[in-house]
Order: sequence, then structure tokens, then C-alpha cells
Amino acid sequence: MKRRLFAVFSFVAVLFALGLGLGYSSASAKTQQTYTIGTDVTFPPFEFANDQNKYVGIDMDLMRAIAKDQGFKVNIKPLGFNAAVQATQSGQIDGVIAGMSITKERAATFDFSNPYFTSGVVMAVAKNSKITDLNALKGKRVAVKTGTSGADYANSIKNKYGFKVVTFDDSNNMYEDVTTGNSVACFEDSPVMRYAIQQGSKLKIVTKPAESGSYGFAVKKGQNKALLTAFNRGLANLKKNGQYDKITERYLGKDSTAKPADDRSFLGLLKQNKGALWDGFVETLWLTVVSIFFATLFGVIVGLMGVVPSKFINGASTTLIYIFRGLPLLVLALFIYTGIPSLTGQKIPAFVAGVITLMFNEGAYIAAFVKGGINAVDHGQMEAARSLGLPFGKSMRKVILPQGIKIMVPSFINQFIITLKDTSILSIIGLLELTQTGKIIIARNLEGFKVWTIVAVIYLVVITLLTWLSNWVQRRTKI
Amino acid sequence: MSETKAKIKVDNLVKNYGDNAVLKGINLEVKNNEVVVIIGPSGSGKSTLLRTLNKLEEPTGGSIVVDGYDIAKPDTDINKVRENIGMVFQHFNLFNNLTVGENITLAPLELKKEAPKQATEHAHSLLQMVGLESKFDARVQSLSGGQQQRVAIARALAMKPDVMLFDEPTSALDPEMVGDVLAVMKDLAKQGMTMVVVTHEMGFAKEVADRVIFVDDGQILEEGTPDELFGHPKHPRLQDFLNKILNV
Ligand SMILES: Nc1ncnc2c1ncn2[C@@H]1O[C@H](COP(=O)(O)OP(=O)(O)OP(=O)(O)O)[C@@H](O)[C@H]1O
Ligand SMILES: [Mg+2]
Repeated sequence: MKRRLFAVFSFVAVLFALGLGLGYSSASAKTQQTYTIGTDVTFPPFEFANDQNKYVGIDMDLMRAIAKDQGFKVNIKPLGFNAAVQATQSGQIDGVIAGMSITKERAATFDFSNPYFTSGVVMAVAKNSKITDLNALKGKRVAVKTGTSGADYANSIKNKYGFKVVTFDDSNNMYEDVTTGNSVACFEDSPVMRYAIQQGSKLKIVTKPAESGSYGFAVKKGQNKALLTAFNRGLANLKKNGQYDKITERYLGKDSTAKPADDRSFLGLLKQNKGALWDGFVETLWLTVVSIFFATLFGVIVGLMGVVPSKFINGASTTLIYIFRGLPLLVLALFIYTGIPSLTGQKIPAFVAGVITLMFNEGAYIAAFVKGGINAVDHGQMEAARSLGLPFGKSMRKVILPQGIKIMVPSFINQFIITLKDTSILSIIGLLELTQTGKIIIARNLEGFKVWTIVAVIYLVVITLLTWLSNWVQRRTKI
Repeated sequence: MSETKAKIKVDNLVKNYGDNAVLKGINLEVKNNEVVVIIGPSGSGKSTLLRTLNKLEEPTGGSIVVDGYDIAKPDTDINKVRENIGMVFQHFNLFNNLTVGENITLAPLELKKEAPKQATEHAHSLLQMVGLESKFDARVQSLSGGQQQRVAIARALAMKPDVMLFDEPTSALDPEMVGDVLAVMKDLAKQGMTMVVVTHEMGFAKEVADRVIFVDDGQILEEGTPDELFGHPKHPRLQDFLNKILNV
């Protein structure tokens, strides 16, 4: 038992090491340095996936142009704004460029580049709204996106104008809240808002840019000085040679290339995004399969620890189940992905962090029903086996487990389906699985309802297939 | 091992469940080839006594020596000792995931490393002995209680033990099945098996037992030949007990 437990932990350790190794080898000992740069997934026109699922936008094009100019490589990671900021803070990634306003508070933990863009907060309302200024907001509800300067601005004036602020995690949800009338207005940086309206959001801008602020590229305070210097040098060069203007013009000029996609029917959306959806689907499946494997391993071991004749090991099992069943999956995922690296200084690739999260969480549920299943086998079976002289482990394997597993099979199938669904929560750490893919597509085309419908149908299809497969296996093994 | 040497020797055996003293100092010797029947009222500690003999229950104090091994000692390899002590339970406890044949051959294959062919042949001959030679491939669930108990006896015998423990082997059976099981046990006794049997079957005790032991409240109150105990019970509690079970 001990030996097997050890084997699992070494397996996980190897997984860690592999992930770390990959992370390091890509970032070291090359003539061209590669930097991992985090960004938002939903912040057009600064960063968004185009219909070839390539990240474009002012930030992206600038970053790439600067990298080319300065002779380094970038590995862009669309983690989401908060995750990218946290990952930079914990040293998971080298820097963040995500339309990030330079503020005093942020300057305490980040070193910023020279400003590369000046923006200001505008207020937008529904197309048919009569609201034209801040005074009309009294007693009303206003939508903002978490962490934006629009949110800061709204919060700073909400008492003065007497409105309530609701916070959203991505832009599309914020716009929808206004177009559906739940909120009367939203605050957002003017280029972002202009792009959204150009893309067909039924909103109009009613105020002049306020609180104009500057966007900067950020690295962890005191780290990556070379990168920061290169960025500043590159930026100056681009401004001089006209490339900078070309890039901003590309996204904010009249003849913007980012035109709304033509076909917004289900079939059209499916066709335009089939590559991205397929990749997300594959990532979800892969994540599910690997997680189920490790969760089952972990669960069976912890479950067995709950039934061996040792009070101490039983206690350890109960504790593990208690902790990992008790923690919300979201908290566990963020803790493992951002918390542990900031404690240990060791980076964890998002996929590995995701698998570990599911291994612990789903594994704890598996452990609980493995334990229950074994305890449900008549006690006399164990006594009969032991009285023949069979050791505990052999009795377990030959007599108890075959009967216990029969009891557990339905719970296993159920848990596999739950695991598949729970992979969607890992979109929080930037894994490009199906849900995250959905978010990204919506960030570009703002077709929330249709895209979520497509994503939901894909989940249902996979779950149906998984159920069939499980039933088939169950029938085949005749247990 | 000589005829007279003790196969099982129990000295001052004590067993507590928390504050509840279940066995209060039991002294017992079972000689080679001897058949000992334990009787006593419900809750008196008969099962507990029997189950400490192969350490299904951990003794609280005292010593239990089986075949020269002190099984109360922590460093005794209890699995090795158990291979030599067959046990038959009130509720048979046949392995529900295995066929009759597999029930019998599991332990010999796993522990004695017998060749499958040899183990199977042995199983067939044991099934023949208990009168169930046709049931080798049957599923456990398809057998009657009496049949299951006879398979359970065959399973215990497959390890070629030199002691057999029986804990009320017939009390979960329909009356018409009891005879078949007792017949198998009588056969065993005749072949010289050392047996310790907890039972309420007084007929069996009278016919087969070399010695009968009356246990009450965790103590041995009286012991002797069946004639002595059933014919001339001395202890009032034993007289009372016999009155009750003979006048049902
Ligand atoms: N696992 C246990 N935990 C606590 N008390 C127990 C346990 N097993 C038995 N006892 C108690 O020990 C006492 C003796 O039980 P035991 O089963 O040995 O009696 P018995 O003589 O076999 O009775 P019966 O004829 O009903 O089988 C009873 O009071 C019982 O409640
Ligand atoms: Mg009993």
C-alpha cells in the first residue's frame, strides 16, 4: 500500500518536473530569449482572437512588432486580465500587456514601461436610452468590468451621483446587461467601447473621455529589467518609424479591418469558429481523460486508506476527503495555480495545475464512495477470507474489491460526467478548453446567446458519448 | 505431534470491549483429535472465545497457544497460524463473487501455491465428501443454506487444517438442512479432526463431544464429558440453562 502511494506521488512529481522542465527549456539558453506574456481574453481592440483563432489587437501587434524590432520572442498567453496580473505577480509569467492602466497602486507591485496608449473612460447607454449625462444615473444600476479603469471611475463617482455598480468578469456580459436593460449604463475605456459598437453592440457613447489614463506594459517589480528596457526602446523606434500609428489605425481608424463577421446564424458561427471550437473540445476531452485517470488513482488510494486496519491511516483518509471535498473547485484551482507558485517560487503549467485540481477534488469524491462501497460489503466476507490465512491485501483484492466495485460503478460513471463538466471551471486559470474558447469567441463577436448554445450542445454530446461508453464498459466487464 | 499434547492452550484469557468485560479469565486446553463443544446462554461470550482462538478478535490479556505459536504475541505471523485453523461461521460467509469451486480453491492457490489442477482435484474430492460433487461450477447464490454451509466446511478443509472451529454452524439453517451439516461434522470428528464447536445441538454434543464446556458470563462454570454435564449438571446455572433449552 505504502509503496503504491509513493508511486502515485512520484508520478505527480514527475508531472510537475516535466511541466517545469518544459517551461524552463523554452525560456533559457537560446540566442533569442523567449518571454511569456500574459494578456486578457476579452479586451478588444487591444487583444482578442481573430477568426483564425490568432491573438490580434493593438497590444498584440505592438508586442510582436517590438519583439521583432528588439530581437526577442514572445509567447502570448491569453489568461484573462486578473489571472494574467496574478501570474505576473507570482512570477508564473514574465509580463502582462492587457490595456493595463498605470496607477500608483499597481506601481507598488509592478514596474511599468513608458505609456504606450492614452485612453479615457466613457459612458455608454443602450441605443434607445434617454440618458445623456451622469446626473440621470441617480438610483440606477450601472455595469462595469472588474479591474478596469472604467470600474475605478464608476466607483469613485457612484456616491456623488447616487448609482449602484454591478461588476462583470467579461465585457460581453457587461454590454448585455445594458442592452437588456438590467443596467442603464456602463463605463469603459473609449477605444474598447468604440470597437464594441463597431462590432454591433446596441450601445452609444454619451460622454467625453474622462480620467484619461495611460496604458503600460508591466513586469513584476524589480524583475525582468532587460525586457522592460527592450520594450521601451522598441516602442520609441515604432513611434519614430510610423509603425505605431499604423497599428493603432488598424483597429481604431475609419477603415478598420476588424469588420463584423457576415454570417451570424448558428451554422455561420459554427463554420467560422470550427477550428477554435474543435481545439477547445479536444482540450476539454484531454483534460477530462487525464484528470479522471489521476482522480481515480488518488480516490482509490485514499478510499482504501479509509478501510485498512490502521486508525492513523483511516484518519489521514478522512482528513483528505474532508479538505478536498470541502474546498470549492474554483478556490482550489486558483490556490494551486497562483497560490502555490507565489509560496514556492515554482511555476506550474496551467494544464498541470488543472489536472492536480481535479485530481484532488474529484478524487476526494471518488475516495468517499470507494470507502463506502467497500464498507457496504458484508463484514463476514473479510472475516472468512482472513480466517483462511489470506493477508489483508489479498483478501481485499480477491474478495472485497470485486464486490465493492460492483456497488461503486454507478458512482464512478456519475463522477466521470461531473469531472467533464467541472473542467469548465478551469477556464479561470486560462486553460483554452471549451468554455474558455466560448468566452474568447464571444469577446470577438459578442454573440453570447448563440455561442453559449453551441458550447452547451457540444457538452451534452460529449456527456452522452461518455455515458454510452461507460455503460458499454459496464456491460462488457459484466460487473 | 503426540496424541496427548495440547493443540490449543488458553491461559487466563481476558477480553474487554471498552468497559464491558466479555471474557473474564478463561483457561482451556484442547488436545489433539479432541472434540470440544461449548454451550452457554446468549451473550455469554462463546463466539468471542472462539474468535480469539484465531485472533479474529484481539485478546485483551492472557495467552493463547495454538500448535506451539503464542498468537497473542504481536510478532507471531497470524496468517501462517490461521492456515492451520479452519473456521466455519453461522452465516457461512461464502465469497459471493466466486463460484463454489473458486471459493474452495482460492486460499490453496494463493497461499499454498498449489498447481491449479491439483487444487481443483482436491476441491472436487472435498465436495464429494460433503455430498455436493455436482456443484463445483455453481454460483454461491444458487445454493440453499445447508448446501452453502457444507461448501463453507469444504472451503475450510481445503487448507488441510488440523483444527476446525465452528460457531453455531446450524443455527441459521432450516431444520431439515441441519442433519446434512451435522453429518459432515460427525464424519470429520470420526476422521480425528480436532474440533471446537459452539452449538445448541445437544444431540450432536452427546454423540460426538469428548468434552462439553459450559460458559456463562465470560467464565467457564463447568466442564466434563457429555454424560457428566447433561446427566449430572452440578452448577445451578447449568441446570437452569439445560432446563430451558430442553423444554422449548
Ligand atoms: N464487537 C463488539 N463490540 C462490543 N461488544 C461486543 C462485540 N462483540 C460482542 N460483544 C458483546 O460481548 C458479549 C458476548 O458476545 P458473544 O457474541 O461472544 O456472545 P455469544 O455467547 O456468542 O452469544 P450468542 O449465543 O447470542 O451468539 C455480548 O454482550 C456482546 O454484546
Ligand atoms: Mg455467538
